[in-house]
Amino acid sequence: MYAFNYQRAESVGSAAAALSADASAKVLSGGMTLLPSMKHRLIAPSALIDLARLPELIGVREEGPHWWVGAATRHQEVAAHAGLQQAIPGLADLAGLIGDPQVRARGTLGGSLANNDPSADYPAAALALRARILTERRDIAADDFFLGMFATALQPDEIITGVRFCTPVRCAYAKFKHPASGYAMAGVFVAQYPAAGAEHGGWRVAVTGVANGVFLWHEAAQALAQQSPTPPLLRDDAIDDVHAPAAYRCHLALQMLNQACQAL
Amino acid sequence: MKLNLTLNGTARSADVPERTLLADLLRDTFGMTGTHVGCDTSQCGCCTVHVDGMAVKSCTMLAVQADGCSVTTIEGLGADGLHPVQVAFSQCHGLQCGFCTPGMVMASVDLLRRNPQPTPAEIAEGLAGNLCRCTGYVNIIRAVQQASEILQKEAS
Amino acid sequence: MNAPTAQVLLRKEDQRLITGTGQFSADAQAAGMCHGHVIRSPHAHARITHLDVSAVRAAPGVRQVLTAQDVQAAGFADLPNAVQVKNAQGQAQVVCAMPVLAHDRVLFVGQPLVWVVADTALQAQDAAELADIGYETLDVVVTFADATAPGAVQLHPQAPGNTSVKFEAGDRAAVDAAFAKAHFVSDIAVESQRLVGAPMEPRAVWAWHDEAQGLTHVHTPSQGVGGMAAYLTHITRWDAASIEVHTQDVGGSFGLRSSAYSEHALVMLSARWLKRPVRWVGSRSELFVSDWHGRALRLHGHIALDKDGRILAMRFENQVDAGAYNVYFSTHIGARNLSITMGGAYQVPALHMSSHIFFTNTVPVSAYRGAGRPDIAYVIDRLIDHAAHQHGLDGLALRRKNFIPPQAFPYTTANQTVYDSGHFEAVMDHALRISDAPGFAQRRAEALQRGCLLGRGLAYYLEASGPGGAAKDQVRANFDAHGVLSLHALTGASGQGHETSFAQIVENEIGLPASAVRYFAGEPEQDLVGNSTGGSRTLYGMGSAIKNLCQQLMHQAKPAIAKLWGCAETDIGHVGGEFQEQSGNQRRLRYADWIASLGDLAAQVHAVGEASSGATFPNGCHIAEVEIQCATGVAAVAHYWAVDDVGQVISPAQVLGQVQGGVVQGLGQAFGEHAIYDRETGQLLTGSYMDYPMPRAGGWLRHFHHETHAVPTSLNLLGAKGVGESGCSGSLPALANAVTDALRQVDAPPMDMPFTPARLWAALQAAPQKP
Repeated sequence: MYAFNYQRAESVGSAAAALSADASAKVLSGGMTLLPSMKHRLIAPSALIDLARLPELIGVREEGPHWWVGAATRHQEVAAHAGLQQAIPGLADLAGLIGDPQVRARGTLGGSLANNDPSADYPAAALALRARILTERRDIAADDFFLGMFATALQPDEIITGVRFCTPVRCAYAKFKHPASGYAMAGVFVAQYPAAGAEHGGWRVAVTGVANGVFLWHEAAQALAQQSPTPPLLRDDAIDDVHAPAAYRCHLALQMLNQACQAL
Repeated sequence: MKLNLTLNGTARSADVPERTLLADLLRDTFGMTGTHVGCDTSQCGCCTVHVDGMAVKSCTMLAVQADGCSVTTIEGLGADGLHPVQVAFSQCHGLQCGFCTPGMVMASVDLLRRNPQPTPAEIAEGLAGNLCRCTGYVNIIRAVQQASEILQKEAS
Repeated sequence: MNAPTAQVLLRKEDQRLITGTGQFSADAQAAGMCHGHVIRSPHAHARITHLDVSAVRAAPGVRQVLTAQDVQAAGFADLPNAVQVKNAQGQAQVVCAMPVLAHDRVLFVGQPLVWVVADTALQAQDAAELADIGYETLDVVVTFADATAPGAVQLHPQAPGNTSVKFEAGDRAAVDAAFAKAHFVSDIAVESQRLVGAPMEPRAVWAWHDEAQGLTHVHTPSQGVGGMAAYLTHITRWDAASIEVHTQDVGGSFGLRSSAYSEHALVMLSARWLKRPVRWVGSRSELFVSDWHGRALRLHGHIALDKDGRILAMRFENQVDAGAYNVYFSTHIGARNLSITMGGAYQVPALHMSSHIFFTNTVPVSAYRGAGRPDIAYVIDRLIDHAAHQHGLDGLALRRKNFIPPQAFPYTTANQTVYDSGHFEAVMDHALRISDAPGFAQRRAEALQRGCLLGRGLAYYLEASGPGGAAKDQVRANFDAHGVLSLHALTGASGQGHETSFAQIVENEIGLPASAVRYFAGEPEQDLVGNSTGGSRTLYGMGSAIKNLCQQLMHQAKPAIAKLWGCAETDIGHVGGEFQEQSGNQRRLRYADWIASLGDLAAQVHAVGEASSGATFPNGCHIAEVEIQCATGVAAVAHYWAVDDVGQVISPAQVLGQVQGGVVQGLGQAFGEHAIYDRETGQLLTGSYMDYPMPRAGGWLRHFHHETHAVPTSLNLLGAKGVGESGCSGSLPALANAVTDALRQVDAPPMDMPFTPARLWAALQAAPQKP
C-alpha cells in the first residue's frame, strides 16, 4: 500500500467535511474491497476516514412498510437478523451468500453499494426491492443509483448512511458462485409487490454478475406477471471472459431466476 | 499511529504506520508468527484471527482498525493446554504441512460458536474462506465434526 | 477446555503446527534484517531499451540495487537445468537457461529484472516504482502452434523453431509395423493443462553471512538441504563449504520447493555485500508468475489392437511446453518421466514416444506433483477407454486381457523398464468389488430423473517413483544421555509427516518408543549422502536407510550384550528389538531396555545407516462417478473409490492423507484449475486466487472410499512403494473417463480438462442427443 492518513470519523457530518476538503480521501467501511485494492497499489487515497463504528450507521430495523439497514452494518448481521429473515428473506439470504464467513464479519452494505462491482450481490437486492439509498444529503432511488461498472450516482464527497428496502410480498435470491472469486457469475433477485398500479404486475427481477452492471430484467418480470415462460436473456453487454462466455452467463441468469422462483 | 488492543488477553499497544496490516502487526510487531500470510487477494484465510470474537482475515484489516478491540490469535486459543478443535485437527489428521492450519482452526472455532452442531455441508460452507492444498479437506471436515461432538459433551 | 497433550496427538509435527509455533521461513526475525523486492517484467516479450535505477538507489531506506550486470560481475551462473536429453539423431538438446536477472530481453511476464534491498519491505516496494525502464515489446507466442509456426518470433537465437529438443524413446519401426497389421486402431489427443502449483506457504528465503566463519546461512523451504545447497553452489559458484542451507517447516512443496530461484541467489549476494541479514518473501500474485508452473503437456496417444483385443503397440506424440527457459525438471517431465512407464500396467510389445519440447513466452515449467507421471497415466487410460468404446469392446475385459499377469514379474517393458511386482487384475477386482458396480445403472437412471447425467469412469494407473539421483540414502543417528535417538538426514518434509513415520519405523524395528526418536532434516550435514524429497521416494528411501540403521544398532550392541551375558556373540540372535540368547539360559533383553540401562553412557552410541533404493512401481485402480447437472453444467463427484498398491504400509492414516490430497489436486485440475495465457499479449489471465479456482472445502470428497492392496516389493528394505503422487495419477484418468461416460449419454464427444461448468454446458448444448 501507499502511505495515507487514517482518521476515525466522529460523525457523518465530519466525515463528509473531510471528504470535501480532500478530493483523494476515501471513506473506509468494511474495507473488503478497498483494502485489497490498496494492497495492490491500484488506488492511492491520501486519507481513509473510518465510518465503521458510527452507531447511526449500524443496525437493521423495521420502519412501517420498509426495512432500514445502516450503511456500516456487516453482512453477517443482516444475514442473522431474525426479523429480516421473516420480512425480506431474500435479502437476509443474499447477505449470507456474500464472500465467506470472514468477509461477512467485516464487509458492509454501504461499501458494497458505493463500489458497485458488476458481480456484487447487494445491488441486485437494492434494485429489486425498490430501495432508496440514503446519503447524508439526500436519498436516491435504486433505479437512479447504479450507473454502470463501478459507477454510481454518488457525488465524490457523498456518504451513504443507510438503505431503505421496500418490504415485498415475497422475495428470493439465487446465486451461481464464480468458482474462484465467489462473486456472482449470475445472481437473480426476485421480488413481488402488490399488483395494483405497479409495473409488471408488481414483479421486479434484478440481475447481477451477468453484464457490466446490475439491471432490471423487465421481460422476466413481465413473464412472471403473466405467468408465461421467461424468454432467454439477451444482453449486448453480457460479460464474456475465460471463465464463461456471454451465452453461458445469460443461460445462468435464467437458471437462477428459476431457482429463485422456486424458493419464493 | 498509536493503537491499543487486547491481544490474547493481555493489553498491548503499538505505534505503527497507518498502512500496517493487522497481520503485519501480529507477526512483525508482536512476534506472533502463528498467523500466516498466504495470499494477497483475501482468498486463502491463512491469516484468520478473532477480532471481538469473530473470525476475520487479518490481512484485510489495518492494524489501526483493531484499536480498542480484543484480538485472539492461534497462540492464544487454548487458555491452558489445547483447544478441542486443535486436538481434533491432529487426531483426525486434518493437517499435513500446517501452513493453513492456524487460520483453519480459528475459522473452525468461530464456526462452531455460531453453529455448534453443523452438518458436513455446513462445515464446508463455514470454511469457504480457507484454502488447504495438502489434505483435500476430508479430514478437516471430520476434525470439525469431532470437535463439535466434544464441545457438545463438555457443554452438557 | 483442557486436553492432555503429547500422547493424544497423531503426529509429532502436530504440536507445533496446531499451536502456530512452527518455524516457516518468513517467521524468523534477525537484528538488522533488510528486505528484498524484485522488479518483474510486465511484458511477455520485450527488449529492454533503457534501464535507469538511479532514482531507486536514492529512495529512502534503499541499501542496494542490482541488475543483470551486477549479477554477472559477481560471477553468477544461470539457473540450473537439471536434466538434458539428446534427440533421436543423437544431437544435444538446445538448453536455454534462465538468467538470475534478465539482461537485455525479457521473455515472460514476471521475469525478474531488478533487485532492490531496503530497510523495510514497504520501502523496497516504494523504491521499486521509481525505476525507469523502457521496453520495446515484441511478438508473443504462448501456444505450440504459434511458437513452432514458420516465421514465428524466436525467443532464443540458438533455438530455431523455438524448439529445445525432439526427444524420442522406444522403437518406432516396431510400432509402425504393429500398427500396419492391427485389426483395431484408436487414438486420442488430450491436454494436461498448465497449472499453478500454489503450495500454501509463499516462497521465501533469508540469509546472513557469518564473516568469521566465512559461511553464508540460507534459510528457505526446500525438499532437502543437500539438494538446495547444490543448486545454490551451482548458481553462485561459491565454494560449497561456504554455504549452509537450513530448512525447518515447509508449507507444501509438490515439487516446487526443490529449486533454487533467482531470489535465493540475490538474497545471498546481498547478505554478503551488505553484511546484514536479507530476506525476501513472495506475494501470492508474484508467485503466480514466478513459481514454476506445472504440467502444460499435450499428449496424443495411439493404440493398436489385434482382433482379440490384445494390445500390439502404443505410440505417443507429445508437445511439452517448457515455458520461456529450460529450468530444472521440465525436460525430465517431457521425456523420461513420460516414457519410463508409457505402457502403463499393460503388456505392450512395441512402444514409441516422441516429445517436442518447445519454448513460449510463459513462466518456465518444472515439477508439480507427479511431474509427467500423472500425465502419461492420464493419456494411457483415456486411450484404453476410448479404444474400447470406439470398437465396441468392454473396457474392463480389454484391461484384463492386457494387464501384465503376476507370473510375468519381473517384467521388462518394450522400452526396458523393469517392473518388479504387481497384481493388477486383483487390484482392479478389489476396486470393482467395493464400488457397487451393479448398482450403477440404477444410480444413473435416478440421476436422469433429477436432470443430471451420471458417468462412471475407471482408471488403472501405474507409475515409477523416483529412482533417486544420489548413490544412496544415509542417516546418521546418535543417542543422548537420556536415551533419545536423534536421526539426521537430508530428505525433508513439507507435510508428509516424516518425523512421525521415521520414528514409527524405528519403533517397529527395535522397539524403541517413537516418542524417544527425533528426526532432523533441516540442519546441514555436509558429509551425508542422500536424496531430497521428491518422486514419492522418501518413505521407502529414507525409511530403508533407517531400517538398515536399526540393524546396525542391534549388531553394534552385540559385543556389550555378550559381555553382559558372558556368552559368545554368535550365541546372540535378535528378533525385532529383542536380543535372544540362542542356547543355554535363553535370556532375553530388549534393545530399548539396554539403552535405558546405559544411563549417560547411551550418548556414546551412534551409527550410520544407509540403503540404495531405486524406483518402485506404485499402481492402483481408481473409480469415479461424476454427476453433471444438465441445467448448469456443474459437475460433482458423487462417489470415489480408490484401491492402491503402495506395498507395505507404515502409517495408514498418512497414506490415506496423501491419497486424499493427491486426488483432490487431481480434482482441481479436472474441474477448473488452468493457468490461462492471453494469446496476443502473453498476460496471465488467471493471475490470482480470484481467477484460479482452487479446490475448497465445499468440493470435498463426500463419498470417498480408499483401501490398500499391498503387493510387497523387494526393491527396498521396507517393501513399500511411493504414495505421495499416486493420487494425481489415478484421479485424472478416472475423473475424465467418468465425465466422458456421462457425456456419452447425449452422444457428446470426449473433451479436455478442465471440465468447467461453462465448458460442460456448451458440450451439452452442442450434443446431438438431449438428456
